[in-house]
Amino acid sequence: MNPTAQSRPDASFSPRRASIARLLAGAVTLGLGACASVQPWERGTLARPEMQLDPNPLQTGLYEQVYDSKEAASGGAGTAGAGCGCN
Amino acid sequence: MAALSLPAFSATQPVESSVSAGVSNYKEADIPRGDVVGGDNRRYDIDISQFRLLTPIGNRWSVDLGVSRETMSGASPWATVPGLDGEADLIMSGATIEDSRTEVNLSAALYGEDRSAAVTLSRSNEDDYAARAVSVSGEWTFNGDLTTLSAGASHSGDVIEPSDAALFGRVVREERRTRSVSFGIAQILNRLSALYTGFSLTSHKGFLSDPYKLRDVRPSERTERALSVRYRRFLTGAGGAIHLDYRYFDDDWGIASHTVQSSWYQNLGNRFQIVPNVRYNSQSAAEFFLPVDNFLLSSDISQSSDFRLSAYGAVTAGLKGILQQPQWALTISVDRYMSREKYGLTSGYEHPARLQFTMASVILDYKF
Repeated sequence: MNPTAQSRPDASFSPRRASIARLLAGAVTLGLGACASVQPWERGTLARPEMQLDPNPLQTGLYEQVYDSKEAASGGAGTAGAGCGCN
Repeated sequence: MAALSLPAFSATQPVESSVSAGVSNYKEADIPRGDVVGGDNRRYDIDISQFRLLTPIGNRWSVDLGVSRETMSGASPWATVPGLDGEADLIMSGATIEDSRTEVNLSAALYGEDRSAAVTLSRSNEDDYAARAVSVSGEWTFNGDLTTLSAGASHSGDVIEPSDAALFGRVVREERRTRSVSFGIAQILNRLSALYTGFSLTSHKGFLSDPYKLRDVRPSERTERALSVRYRRFLTGAGGAIHLDYRYFDDDWGIASHTVQSSWYQNLGNRFQIVPNVRYNSQSAAEFFLPVDNFLLSSDISQSSDFRLSAYGAVTAGLKGILQQPQWALTISVDRYMSREKYGLTSGYEHPARLQFTMASVILDYKF
């Protein structure tokens, strides 16, 4: 146990974390470079419910509410709604 | 043949109205009796009702109304103290907390040829907490309808008025403000796969401490970054689709987290789907996290023993069944969440308030 509290932390982000973010951004850019042309009549599979980014928004909203209030991390998937005082 | 509407991957108006209604139960496992030196060891049990209506209006507008209602009961950690065995023990809130929360979201969206814009108003009310939020967002589809850029911004003003403030010496009224911006790009990779990448930057200012803990002092500002990648691929031979999601998060409190989630949508005939899913999250601790509260520290020095700010890992395993008809769908799901210090990618400390919960939902969607 560490009984010593620290004062307000440094507001900077570590170079290691920034490297991870750059690596991911690079991978995404490479992925987009590999895109194929998809004609409108070839998009039937992409229109299936299970191929949507969010097949069930009602349930996704519930999961986000639970995880955002019970873990430290949140965000990354659009704008936020109203917060809560969840303990 | 006209282009199919791909709402997740393009800025298109919904072609039909839909109503969704769901009921869920969220139940946290009790804290082991041996880790509690005072108060009730039973944690939150929450019943949730949800409703959503999405409908097009004319040729260029849509309205999206969402309402959710939660009723909760249970106890929460009040203080973390050294135990006789050298490990930390908890003092829980003595009486069972009874509370409810109602959230309403109302959104209006305007659609153009290849773009859309939306405004959303949100309101959340509890006995001791009120939040008002407004957000604006926009989408632009181009590159032969293969690429969609999205951006959004939100502002939330929250007011905290803890119950029994005078009795327990809590703050009487505090405020916090949250501002967020987000950017995203959705890309159709080929006729069987698509990729979304999103980034959000969020700033909190004001009273960010937990007023119900005996000693909880957090910085009055917090800046968060999150980068997410979401991949969808249909495997024709298997008759199913795989979802792979990853999120990296960090903030200036010293917390970094990695979250990976995967679901497999297996079609069984034309009407039924079974969807196993697994989620893993690992986070490091806030720089001011303490295993036990230190009452000798000055009250202007940050410290918190909140388990949510500790280092740990968590695994969720879930199973969903979906009965799909042309006009309606019934979804039944169960998820089990388990968190432990040893599941994490960074070493930490096994918090006595580590969380385990089970959540079950039944959701009915109807299109007309």
